[in-house]
Amino acid sequence: MLTIERGRWLALAVVGAGAVALPYMVDSFYVNMATQALYLGLFALSINLIAGYGGMVTLGQAGISGIAGYTLGIAATQFGMSLGPALVVGFLATIVVAVVFGALAVRTGDVYFLMITLAQGMIIWGIAQRWTTVTGGDNGLRGIDRPGFALEYWKYYYFTLGVVAVCTLLVTLITRSTFGLSLKGIRESEGRMRPLGYNVTLHKFWAFTIAGAVAAIAGLLLAMFNQFVSPAAVHVKASADGLLMSILGGMGTIAGAFVGSSLFVVVTNYVSGYFDRWPTLLGLIFVLTILFAQDGIVGAWNRLVWAPLLRRRGRELEAERTVVGVGGPLARGQPVPASTSNVDRGGERAPVPVGGSPASNAIEDKVDREA
Amino acid sequence: MSGREFVLHTLNGFSLGALLFLLSSGFQLIFGLMRIVNLAHGSFYLVGGYVGLTVLIAGGNFWMALVAAALAIGVTGLIVERTLLRRLRGQPMPEVLLTVGLSLIAADLSLARWGGDPILLPRPELLRGTVELGGVTYPVFRIGVFGLGLLVVGLMWLLHTRTRIGAIVRAGVDDREMVAALGINVEAIFTGAFTLGALLAGVAGVIGGVFLSLYPGADGEILLYGLVVVILGGLGSLPGAVVGSLLVGLIDAFGRAMVPSLSYFLLFAPMALILIFRPHGLFGKPD
Repeated sequence: MLTIERGRWLALAVVGAGAVALPYMVDSFYVNMATQALYLGLFALSINLIAGYGGMVTLGQAGISGIAGYTLGIAATQFGMSLGPALVVGFLATIVVAVVFGALAVRTGDVYFLMITLAQGMIIWGIAQRWTTVTGGDNGLRGIDRPGFALEYWKYYYFTLGVVAVCTLLVTLITRSTFGLSLKGIRESEGRMRPLGYNVTLHKFWAFTIAGAVAAIAGLLLAMFNQFVSPAAVHVKASADGLLMSILGGMGTIAGAFVGSSLFVVVTNYVSGYFDRWPTLLGLIFVLTILFAQDGIVGAWNRLVWAPLLRRRGRELEAERTVVGVGGPLARGQPVPASTSNVDRGGERAPVPVGGSPASNAIEDKVDREA
Repeated sequence: MSGREFVLHTLNGFSLGALLFLLSSGFQLIFGLMRIVNLAHGSFYLVGGYVGLTVLIAGGNFWMALVAAALAIGVTGLIVERTLLRRLRGQPMPEVLLTVGLSLIAADLSLARWGGDPILLPRPELLRGTVELGGVTYPVFRIGVFGLGLLVVGLMWLLHTRTRIGAIVRAGVDDREMVAALGINVEAIFTGAFTLGALLAGVAGVIGGVFLSLYPGADGEILLYGLVVVILGGLGSLPGAVVGSLLVGLIDAFGRAMVPSLSYFLLFAPMALILIFRPHGLFGKPD
């Protein structure tokens, strides 16, 4: 039977299969768009980790992500390092910067955090723009190689897909860990988590650092995709774009980052061919999302479709259990007659007892988590 | 550095500081009172400058351009506050993000309307010459900007300390809820503050167009300076905005002259230090 739990795995499998089959179905233009959607989605996910899970909105993440790209570029072009070590250097340098920036930024909250991260991003941009001897200034840095095994567009797509999938899995595990849940707790109420003994500042610091690592990988993927880095990649606009993707897709959801990045890529690559004022369109989408749909596309999906589905499923389980309990001789696991298992349906709202059954509790918890 | 250069950079610093005050006094008033980081403030500035340009092209003079920009941007601010920001009242992050979205739209539409080339507005007839000051030949216009800055500081100070509205604003910066509970219409004060801030940004845009020229991206750069001023000076504090503007102006003028490639850092180093050791700024009070 297709339960909604199985349906969810099925949907994931379909998306995964589609992603793998993509290069066999469409031409290079669309495959490259998908590659962009993947690494931008990872970038949006790093913002989502700080903003959606940690409740700290950042406007400097492109700066952090850009450190990775620039370090890779400098190591490869100015020091002649081969790609492998240069990638490691780029990643580590970004972690160092994220640690320093994080230590400065997490001491404050709300709008101050936003302003500090904005200023941090601008510092990186200033370096990229003005330290011309090292960063190439406006011209940026050329000559970044892709890995030898992923030179062609479709091989690079698979490479990106693999890296992004692994990173997304890790981030998903982190958000579901004790750490991730305490982070959510801090987002919801810092004032309650503190007296409970949680080191709020340390949690925020770790969230910032982990997000920095994720952004670093996104930045490396971007630099290798373009084989080029420029100040535009670290500009505040790039940070705002990332924020737009994660808000549009849905803050505090994993899928949201990729839904948002896909839409963004469609507008910037596809719509831009027909409509010159596409940045205005993006800005309008941003404003409308904030005014009318703050939980984004995935958030709205969870609220309007997913949560009601889960609730209905919860009532079904509840109904089955009641029948099993009342029926006496009918032992658990035996098939329940269809006619009796549906007693509570037919438009009537099934009573949910206070405290609920273990099954309905689990489902309700799940609803809360998703919503 | 010779004495003459010192005088020159000091004058440059003071006149830039005056321009920054025009911009940041509104920015920090909005921030202090409404707790909104108005990231569209740079857009108000740039579009104000472009409105001035349009008036000049249409045959108007500098002063007409100044008034037109003030009115146009003031009304824009009024509309933005009344129709958009009001819907999000009390949600600091969405408020900020809304202004980010508006600045993206403004930047793109300005590019479409006024193009991507830097444009330097002409100086007004009245302030066209130069004067001798401490052995330096200095443009009268920049002295005039400093004068205008002083005038606005004076008017703001009078408004702040000598009027009922000023008293409400000061009280509002300290404790909005209490002011509202006393039966004062805080919403009207908010709208007024936002409109005034936008108006000043529009004025600053026309002056900045003569001073620094107008180009895509000028909105972000000037906003950043305003941000540094507010963080240095402290939220919602008029003396903070004055001192912060002058500090940033001087640091920038001397930094550009002495260590051009590092001038950016010179600006941010004090800001980082302030954030670490005195997060509420030189003149701000802790929440």
